[in-house]
Amino acid sequence: MRMVHVLTSVVGTKCELKVRNGVVYEGVFKTYGPECELVLDAAHRKGPEPVVGPRHEDIVESIIFKASDVVVVQFKDIDLNYAKKDNFTDSAVSARLNGEHKEKDLKPWDGGEQHGSDSLESLDADMSNGWDPNDMFRFNEETYGVKSTYDSSLSSYTVPLERDNSEEFLKREARATQLAEEIEASATYKARVALENDLRSEEEKFTAVVRAERESHTPSGRENKYVPPGQRNKEGLSWGAGRQNSPRMVQSNNNVPSTRPGPHDYSLSSAADRVLNGGATWPSPCPSPSRPPSRYQSGSTSLPPRATTPTRPSSRPPSRPTRPPSHPSVHGSSAPVSTMPKRMSTEGPLRMSPKTQRTPRAHRLSSSRGGIPSGVDFIPHSAPVDASIPPPAHSSMSGGTWSSVVSGGEQHSDLSLTHRPRSPKQTTLGSSPAGSCPQVGTTPIDPVAVPVSPTTASLASNQAITPSTEAKESRVQETRQMSPVANKEIVKPVDTSPSIGRPVNKGPPAMGLDHRKQIDNLKEFSVVFRVSTSVAYTCLIVHSSLVFTSNFIWLGETLDTNNTASYRPPGSSSSPSSPSSSASPASVLCPAPEYKRGPEVTSQGVQTTGPGSKLDGQEDKEEKKDSVQEQVRKSTLNPNAKEFNPRTFCTQPKPATTPTPPRPQGQPSPSVVVPQPPTVYSQTVCFPQMYPLTPVSPGVQVPHMTVSQTKPYRAVPSMPQQRQDQHHSQGTPTMMHPASATGPSIVASSPAYSAQYFTCSPQQFTSQTLVQQMPHYQSQHVFSSVMQGSARMMAPPTHGQPSLVSSSTTQYAEQTHAMYGKCPPALSVSKLLPMSPGPIPQSYSHPSATLHAQHPQPSATPTGQQQQGQHAGSHPAPSPVQHQAAQALHLGTPSQQQMYSALTPTPPSMNPGPNTQSTQASFPSAQQAVYIHTQQVQHGYNPSHMAHVQQVSCRLPHVLFTAKAHLQSGVVPSHHTTPSHPPMMLMATQPPGGPQHSLPQSALPPIPVSSTAHFSYMAHPSVQPHHQQQL
Amino acid sequence: MAAPGPGEYFSVGSHVSCLTCLGQRLQGEVVAFDYQSKMLTLKCASSSGKPNLCDVILINLAYVSDVEIINDRTETPPPLASLNVSKLATRARMEKEDKLSQAYAISAGVSVEGQQLFQTIHKTIKDCKWQEKNIVVMDDVIISPPYQVENCKGKEGSALSHVRKIVEKHFRDVESQKSLQRSQAQQTQKDSALSS
Repeated sequence: MRMVHVLTSVVGTKCELKVRNGVVYEGVFKTYGPECELVLDAAHRKGPEPVVGPRHEDIVESIIFKASDVVVVQFKDIDLNYAKKDNFTDSAVSARLNGEHKEKDLKPWDGGEQHGSDSLESLDADMSNGWDPNDMFRFNEETYGVKSTYDSSLSSYTVPLERDNSEEFLKREARATQLAEEIEASATYKARVALENDLRSEEEKFTAVVRAERESHTPSGRENKYVPPGQRNKEGLSWGAGRQNSPRMVQSNNNVPSTRPGPHDYSLSSAADRVLNGGATWPSPCPSPSRPPSRYQSGSTSLPPRATTPTRPSSRPPSRPTRPPSHPSVHGSSAPVSTMPKRMSTEGPLRMSPKTQRTPRAHRLSSSRGGIPSGVDFIPHSAPVDASIPPPAHSSMSGGTWSSVVSGGEQHSDLSLTHRPRSPKQTTLGSSPAGSCPQVGTTPIDPVAVPVSPTTASLASNQAITPSTEAKESRVQETRQMSPVANKEIVKPVDTSPSIGRPVNKGPPAMGLDHRKQIDNLKEFSVVFRVSTSVAYTCLIVHSSLVFTSNFIWLGETLDTNNTASYRPPGSSSSPSSPSSSASPASVLCPAPEYKRGPEVTSQGVQTTGPGSKLDGQEDKEEKKDSVQEQVRKSTLNPNAKEFNPRTFCTQPKPATTPTPPRPQGQPSPSVVVPQPPTVYSQTVCFPQMYPLTPVSPGVQVPHMTVSQTKPYRAVPSMPQQRQDQHHSQGTPTMMHPASATGPSIVASSPAYSAQYFTCSPQQFTSQTLVQQMPHYQSQHVFSSVMQGSARMMAPPTHGQPSLVSSSTTQYAEQTHAMYGKCPPALSVSKLLPMSPGPIPQSYSHPSATLHAQHPQPSATPTGQQQQGQHAGSHPAPSPVQHQAAQALHLGTPSQQQMYSALTPTPPSMNPGPNTQSTQASFPSAQQAVYIHTQQVQHGYNPSHMAHVQQVSCRLPHVLFTAKAHLQSGVVPSHHTTPSHPPMMLMATQPPGGPQHSLPQSALPPIPVSSTAHFSYMAHPSVQPHHQQQL
Repeated sequence: MAAPGPGEYFSVGSHVSCLTCLGQRLQGEVVAFDYQSKMLTLKCASSSGKPNLCDVILINLAYVSDVEIINDRTETPPPLASLNVSKLATRARMEKEDKLSQAYAISAGVSVEGQQLFQTIHKTIKDCKWQEKNIVVMDDVIISPPYQVENCKGKEGSALSHVRKIVEKHFRDVESQKSLQRSQAQQTQKDSALSS
């Protein structure tokens, strides 16, 4: 080996080769053989006498020498390192210099005896400061004959002072003396002199690194230094704490920061806001939940606190945003819508440029309302949050429905979460934690979630299946109940995440004001906001109510699109979309409310929100009662929400910041709270969307949600990327999509994602971009990817769900944990959030376009046809169909449709129809599956936004959850599997297994639909079965 | 130490001394040993005394006697560095071309001065070749015997002036070298005279 190496390293060098007979050949060493044959190129026989050089005729092209003939070969002046590849790496250089640097053999220095210690020590001992100048002059003169012209008076440079005794001179002299004394007495002078004269070395004084010192300095030095979001939050927290509730603030802040960077600012600000608010509003944790209410009802109360902290505006805005997120759920129904529009208009721009938006919002809020100002601030941040918040509100209103729709566990949890936010708002409005909180607070999130999940799941299933009317009614009732519960839950969440709730509350109020003022603008912005709102929703979900929010968001999205269809049913009251109303009784029920609210929300929505914000307390209460109405509003909002989605994305970033915290904290209010507030404000606009979504979710909620979500996701072209990133890019985009589509998005939407969203939102998430993306996805049919994504989504959901789980249900938590294990919570969350935003926007847009999400979506998204077709089909079709349609209408629907289309030969539109036709039950299940798909699709969309993907995943979890509600255990496994797309499929299938057993038929139909095309479809089928079972 | 018989293993890094069948004494550090072909590679100090370079000697132990291990090295040899084969191949090609070019010139009857000049120019400008007895630099400047500055012809320009500088410097260096050698010789004579 070494022989080969050394011979190779001398290739190309001249050598002299002696053979046995003594003849020497000289040539260029060309190569060698396995038997050590040596090849010389241009070799010549070297004669005895030193000739100048070989004649051309003497040179042989090449000669091969056998090893047995060679005696000695000499290579002269060889650089063995010539061919080393790493000639300039540190290791190579050091190896050369350390090992082979023979020119410089280091030797110990020996000064010799005579020099010895004497001279050296004498130098050291010589303290004289060098030569005396005169010595130098003399030396030069003696040695070199140089005569110095040095004059100590420096007459060449200056003029000697002429002293006299004139009064003038004395005056001046006295003056000079006085000045000298002043100067020498100054601290600055002394400090400088001390620097020069102290005995410390330069090193000590200027260059030594003294840790302790620095640390002590850093605090003061912060002003001009860049402070990471997390630290800022801390600071904000500290401030907030100082001002008000430091702990909460801190927590929320911390959470937020951790989750998102970009959003951080918001989150931070939100945290600060929280803190500020916290002082007044925060006091009662419940308040946070109630805060949202406060915004609506007693928004004044919440606002006051905010107002109390005027300086905080910037910080507050963030906190508010966080609150908004929470609020979204709470406000969801009423406030969200109104807020959404306003926010849309006002915040929309803000969201566009988060920072700018923030400030503007803050200003607006401040200008409009004392408390609102803060809300405004929040809005910017919360724009997304707000969006999310609104949904929550809706969800709260229709929360029950939503939860039911969403599907048991997750939905419930989501609902609860959303409710929480709302409740917070309400409570806050009511100042109440008592008033609003009571509702929310009465039923802890978990309880609510649990109840809801079962009921909702069942309801949802029922609704989805067809019982829709009854189911819807039941849902509505449930939703209503749920809403209370949700509210209660919200309160709890709020408690857990007071900040969130508060933020939400604030957000909504602010939103209301903003909306009123800038309704027109909001309309335009609404698109953007929708996106953001969706994000916000997701964010909210991510937080305490991450799941809920996600659900809401999803719901909102779905609601937006599907609102009319499925959600409306649930929300019956919400049934914003005519299709849904016509299609399913539930939808019908919802439609009226939705329409009413929807109009209000859209046109009046802003106003309503405004009032709501003003009357937050009342509104909150009303909202709770009017959960249906809220849903309706939400539905109306949904349209807006679609627009908002982009913004929501932005908001999501905030959530993203908090997302991770939320998950960990999950339900803990801080993280959740933070995200929500941001969302609330910014999301105000979004909220409307959210609300719409929520309404939708309530009725057909889960399925629709998923569907709508899926659509949005689809809409989001970027989603695929996100999916990949988040999901490891197994399925690539699709993977992401699923995740985004699934509940995860909601969960994911939480803080961490929000951050991502923020970043993304501006670029990709803008409503336009989102919409475009959405179409692409739809058109592209990320289905397969979506499917995968769905699986992933499932996993993400779990991640996101953790919080939800913790808050709502242990089982969920487990699932979520599993999910987490599969997918990074933060990632999932972020993905989800992004996803949701993307999807949401579309869905929102759709809703906005028409009362129903469907309308907007079709128009908005290229795939619109499919969606429309689906929507149409869904609407016309029975409730189940509607649900599906709704889903299709919603972001999810497109995806589903796409999925279906992809899966099934039939066109997207056809798919919807088939789905609906195939079986309502199956459709519901299909819808669920669709949800997953949609989620996946969304994820695909989300790609751009991780959050979306996560949201999708969240949604999936929701679906799973729904399934779980029925078959939680089964679902859980699926969740676990979900991480990978296939797993997701498996999950879906597994859950289905349980569900299927209960509803084989439904399961089968779905499978065909989904199975035809992609795995995801397969998963969907399975999902559908689950749904059916659940239902 | 007993002379290791053929086939005995040499540890890398040990110093070995041996006597070839042609009566040449070789000594160096073992770099590699191929048992199959009985080829031993030694690394010796450069015969030209350049510190960064070394001579590598490939010895066929079949024709060697009196192998003696001066000192053994037990340390593990350093790892082998990867080699840039393309770089080696390029070097081989260039060396071959240079040699052939030189051989061409020699066969053409170029004077030693001419060959020296060619080598000097070649150090600076790779693009130079023999054309009969003329040195063609960059296809632009032709230096014909007796290769003095005034023999540089070509298109007026930087190339020509540059080549002239090189030629001028070459002969100046040759002159100074000669004078230096002369002075050194004288110096040695003086020293010897003084010492004697």
